Amino acid sequence: MSKIKIICRKRCFSFSFLLRIVMITSLILAVWKKDFVWVVGTFIGLFVSILPSILKKDVKFTLPWLLDFLIALVTILHMGGRLLDFYYTIENYQLITRFFISILVAFIGLAMIYILDEHWDGLRMDKYAMAFVTVIFTMAVGVFLEFIKWINVTGTYYVKTNNVLMLNLSLDTIAGIFIAIIGVSLIKSGRFEKMTDEFGNQIDKIVIDKFEKRN
Amino acid sequence: MKKNIIKTGGVIVSYILKILMIILLIISIYNKHIEWIFGAGLGIIVSFVPTILKRNYQITLPIILDILITTALFLHIGGGILGAYGIIHYDTLTHFVSSFLIAFLAFVVIYILDEYWDGLMMDKYAMAFLVVFTTIAMGVIWEFNEWITDLIFKTQEQWGYNDTIKDLFVDMLAGIAMAIIGVVMIKRGSFDELTEDLGEQIDKKIIKKGMNKKNE
Repeated sequence: MSKIKIICRKRCFSFSFLLRIVMITSLILAVWKKDFVWVVGTFIGLFVSILPSILKKDVKFTLPWLLDFLIALVTILHMGGRLLDFYYTIENYQLITRFFISILVAFIGLAMIYILDEHWDGLRMDKYAMAFVTVIFTMAVGVFLEFIKWINVTGTYYVKTNNVLMLNLSLDTIAGIFIAIIGVSLIKSGRFEKMTDEFGNQIDKIVIDKFEKRN
Repeated sequence: MKKNIIKTGGVIVSYILKILMIILLIISIYNKHIEWIFGAGLGIIVSFVPTILKRNYQITLPIILDILITTALFLHIGGGILGAYGIIHYDTLTHFVSSFLIAFLAFVVIYILDEYWDGLMMDKYAMAFLVVFTTIAMGVIWEFNEWITDLIFKTQEQWGYNDTIKDLFVDMLAGIAMAIIGVVMIKRGSFDELTEDLGEQIDKKIIKKGMNKKNE
């Protein structure tokens, strides 16, 4: 690995680590404010963001660093919005959070399709078809998120207007297209394979192989 | 034999619906309802697209697709001209039929690409998932179309937050319904029979030509 890549990786890990520290601070803030709903919320967020590290230690599971970083970033943005009221005080903060959530969803979608294409006999897909499915997947998951908001199981207040709904769906589409374009370029250059290689092999061993043996 | 009876029955149903649409056009002319004269006229032309494709381009669409296109158009035009959109849940019904048409079309395209194109090989359950996602995404694009129309022309295509969510939910239900039906049909082999003619024609006219061009 070249020096630049090592430095870049180290920096990305440091950033991800920094984000987790901010999250712990958010957790302390939530306890201090006696906002217990958000104590639980922040705890779940923190757990999700450190999940890759836990998995890595116990099951020898390595998430692509970009995925690790995106999970941490999205959790931070959401917690900031709730705890520090950024959703209400900063204009369009909700849209920014939504965009990064969609970027994360799109990346997960593309990575899963690519890994299944590489390791599962039930799927072979051209890279452009992968890009198309990534966009479709991101848009559909965005709709599921809106269903969750609509049902409102947690009782959390969400802005429920048609305009916000349509803006959210637009951002999902843009994020999907964005990751699809970047994804195709990364696949062409072979960098996407490098990025998901380790993760793909682990998924293959833990899930796909077992599933195929059962069938 | 059975296949021919189903096909003939389907053609009869399709033509009955087309005749009913022509009657609706006459009603709208009689009532001088300009918007629906245009709508019904356009609907009748679109309903004849399968026939035009067969005569002029030798592309045979599955008869179910023909019936679904004509039914969706008939329900929409009938709803507008006869005031049926005022009936409770009529809008939901038309939305479901349109989404089911999209889901069916998506399944046909995916299945044909899987059968004839080297760039796609998919398990039937993965196809089902993709059909549900595609139907929802097409529903979103349809909502974009209504939203932008409302913004530009100050119309009221979208009735509000709850209605948009309901439309998207109906899209999802239609996608799931088609995904289940599609998987059952693939297992029985009837989906292959249904799309065989169209698949071979698309393979000859589009896929092979595209591959030849690529090789050149």
